[in-house]
Amino acid sequence: MYNNSEQFDRNFKSSFLTIIIGILFSLLIARLIFVQVVDHEENFRLSENNRMRQNIIKAPRGEIEDRHGNVLVRNRPSYHISLLYHKMENKDSLIRRVLSIEDYEGNPVFDSLHLIHQIKRGRWRKYRPQLLYEDAPFELVSIIEERSADLPGIITEVESRRAYPYGTLAAHTLGYTGRITVDQLKKRKDLGYDKNDRLGKKGLENYYEATFKGVDGVEYIEVDAFGRRLGQLDGMPKLDPIEGKKVITTLDLELQKIAENAFPDSLKGGLVAIDPSNGEVLAMVSSPRMNPNIFSLDSISRKREWANVALDSDAPLNNRALVGLYPPGSLFKFFTAIAGMQQGIHPKAKPYKPCRGGYQLGRRYQKCWKLTGHGNVDMIEALKTSCDVYFYQLGLQIDMDPINNVARMFGLEKKTHIDLPIEKRGVLIDSVTYNRRNKRLGWRWTRGQILHLSIGQGQLVTPLQMANAFAGLGNGYQLFKPRLIKAIIGADGRVESYSKPEVLKELSLTDSIRYMVNTALNAVVNEPGGTGRRARVKGVRVGGKTGSAENPHGELTHAWFGAVAPLEKPEIAIAVVVENAGHGGSVAAPIASQVLNYFFERKNQNVQLKK
Amino acid sequence: MYNSKNSLDWWSILWALFLCIVGVVLVYSATYNEAQNWANSMWFKQVLFFIVGYIIFIGMTFFPIGFYKKIAWPTYFLSLIFLIIVAAGFGASKYGAGRWISIGGFNFQPSEFSKIAYILALSTLLENRKITLKKLSTFTRPLIVFIVPFLLILKQPDLSTALVFLCLTAIHFYWSGMSLWELFLLASPALSMALSFHNLLWGGLIIVVLIALWKVHLRLGIAISIFIGNLAAGFSSFYLWNEILKPHQRSRILTFLDPLRDPRGEGYQVIQSKVAIGSGGLSGKGFLEGSQTNLSFLPEEHTDFIFSVLGEQFGLIGCIVIIVLFFLLLFRILHICTMQKNIFGNYLLVGVAAIFAFHIFVNIAMTLGIMPVTGLPLPLLSYGGSFVITCMVLLGFVQVVYKSGSET
Repeated sequence: MYNNSEQFDRNFKSSFLTIIIGILFSLLIARLIFVQVVDHEENFRLSENNRMRQNIIKAPRGEIEDRHGNVLVRNRPSYHISLLYHKMENKDSLIRRVLSIEDYEGNPVFDSLHLIHQIKRGRWRKYRPQLLYEDAPFELVSIIEERSADLPGIITEVESRRAYPYGTLAAHTLGYTGRITVDQLKKRKDLGYDKNDRLGKKGLENYYEATFKGVDGVEYIEVDAFGRRLGQLDGMPKLDPIEGKKVITTLDLELQKIAENAFPDSLKGGLVAIDPSNGEVLAMVSSPRMNPNIFSLDSISRKREWANVALDSDAPLNNRALVGLYPPGSLFKFFTAIAGMQQGIHPKAKPYKPCRGGYQLGRRYQKCWKLTGHGNVDMIEALKTSCDVYFYQLGLQIDMDPINNVARMFGLEKKTHIDLPIEKRGVLIDSVTYNRRNKRLGWRWTRGQILHLSIGQGQLVTPLQMANAFAGLGNGYQLFKPRLIKAIIGADGRVESYSKPEVLKELSLTDSIRYMVNTALNAVVNEPGGTGRRARVKGVRVGGKTGSAENPHGELTHAWFGAVAPLEKPEIAIAVVVENAGHGGSVAAPIASQVLNYFFERKNQNVQLKK
Repeated sequence: MYNSKNSLDWWSILWALFLCIVGVVLVYSATYNEAQNWANSMWFKQVLFFIVGYIIFIGMTFFPIGFYKKIAWPTYFLSLIFLIIVAAGFGASKYGAGRWISIGGFNFQPSEFSKIAYILALSTLLENRKITLKKLSTFTRPLIVFIVPFLLILKQPDLSTALVFLCLTAIHFYWSGMSLWELFLLASPALSMALSFHNLLWGGLIIVVLIALWKVHLRLGIAISIFIGNLAAGFSSFYLWNEILKPHQRSRILTFLDPLRDPRGEGYQVIQSKVAIGSGGLSGKGFLEGSQTNLSFLPEEHTDFIFSVLGEQFGLIGCIVIIVLFFLLLFRILHICTMQKNIFGNYLLVGVAAIFAFHIFVNIAMTLGIMPVTGLPLPLLSYGGSFVITCMVLLGFVQVVYKSGSET
């Protein structure tokens, strides 16, 4: 119960609250008068036919260049022809007119079934453009624009798409873009993606998606009754788009071209060229190839091309340089040899039985590749002629653990963590992993396995790992992380970040080991009797090693060649593998040789030009 | 003096019914474009919501006011349980934030229910209590009752309902005897934090704080704490803004204050809404004639932006009629409040009026582009089951208090 003063107090508070509410509501009415009476004409004009449009200005995607500034990936305008259902006046006459449009050869441009289907679908989303013709040729766009008065409801839209001017060149490395999927959109909603956006699906396009993507802008424009732009609206906010960042890759366009030519589509396999002094990837080939431009085509052609690529049994979509796993073959002998020296075997010593074309271990007889035998050889001679028997005995003497430790030091097991989205790790085998891997088959480890493993049959490596390992052999001190990016350039043209060489492993080798490696690499290519003589380059000391990896799926061996040059101060390391092609010396070495020849010819020319 | 034990307050029913009908008409107009049969249509669902709401409303009048005092605390704790369920992430997700609970196929928003529960609880608590800064112990319990649901709602995050809680609490404190100066002092640290980005404004605020401290005659310790609190809030705001908040959080706050900063998202709605209302002019374009709203350029036109539909189709005259109706309804509620002597009932009605007034003002101001986009619906006009029922329950309280007559 209230007493009198409280009742008065209550009345006062109640009136006070009423007055406050009255004042607030009067404010609203004052604002309404301003918006609805003072500003009425402007607002009415804007609302009439809904003349105001929100126009999203798509930010161009960042481009990709090679190390010398050649554009590898750029953007091109792509035109779409769409229908705005609510602007359509008479459905039947519009269909008739659209179907009467012909190209230069007199063929109808639009498919009547597709057209009628899309118009039907347009009924459910009257105010949004319904796509009739994706990625239309420019001549068609100009015909439509000319006849726009006859075609009410038909509009043309433009969007930026990716173009790869060199087609299949480095396609696996560069990757491609595609329309964002529902799941991807859900995850990236906060990052400013829209359901019609495209994003990187593979390769660098995917790995550096956040870098390439710009920030979309927005403006408010006024349009006429046909939907044509009249101009920007005054007093409305405008945000300019911010272009995506440009990426300068470590790739060398000319070298890549040579490598691609040397490695035709008829051969399957991969090639990687790396700068041993910093890990920069100069060229990367995976064959057979695919053309990333197909992902920017209109939907019908895209589906047709995609089916060709996706169903091809040669798997052209795979980047074999990173996901192709091959037995390293004789290239592995270098790691067996280094492990041998670490265990105290002298490179000039001849402690083993001479090679008579094979080796007897218990009841097992393991052949050398050269059935006539190599005779009594030392370590360097064994590497030069790739004598299996020497390495059988070396492996048996020191066992697998020290060999695998050396292989690991050269990065053969783990992923290299290059800046591409998909990469496979390699496989090294010792007694424990062998038993684990073959448990289902019931096979157990025996010392006989060492015979295979010491010459590189049984392990699995990727071409990238092998190229990097050869870079390490040439460098002798450090193993770098392979990388594809030199720098990222901001929209204002200034360098935002340089990528720096990253040391993957410090190579703990003695000087005598480095000397042995250097001598042996040289001997393989440049000495008479070496298996890699076809990789010789005039005036340059090229080092290398051939390999022919036995292949359980085919008759012919995988041909390997690893190279590094010049041996005095290495500038390029290469690994080439060609599937089911025969011997490394005859198939893979010539490919590497073409790349090396070009590399050093150009260098000489540049030096002469400077002089 | 009313002698009205068995009758209803027909004035408030009349104003509310009129608003409900306008609401259904506007929802019909906002959504009629979408080809659907009428049983699935929004306007029909809205009618069903109102029918359910009115049944609850009538049911409520059969219980005496003492009953509501008894169920106040159980209701409050039940609402806390719902809020905890949602805060723990078991709520059904709609539009990203899981603010809904699904019971037997019906979805409802716990934060709507918590508004009702909180009014009941705070009214019961304050019935025999005077709140004043001069005696801090008077604050202990109301603050606990306030802060628990407030934090749970903020966590959802449902900023708009949290603001409703703040407004309701301030008005209840005022009704319970706090002077305006005291309320100002209570809120001053928050104001300090907001104004400290402008040196002159903040200086002015500190001077007003000093005047208030001189006027209110607080105990020295409390006065000093308030003053230091202001300084601390003001100085820490820079640090908080620049160091603690992440760039996207900063940008979200700025966009909240000025939607035009983000013309892609909320700014777009506000611009479209303003154009829609403005294009209506003095008398509007006529029922179903709004080109702006009918072209579906406003994504939330049947819920939060229903006022834009009104403005475009019925013009300034229609808008003023609706605002006046709202005012009459609120005036009636506050009038009943002064006539009935039940203290608990008074608190209830002040709370009801505060909630309605806050929703109405913030929502309409938002559609006119002078307030942030908070997502508060417009009472009795906006589409939405939970909120319609909340409104009808709040109006039910008005009848309950009206019937209470002179009983205590």
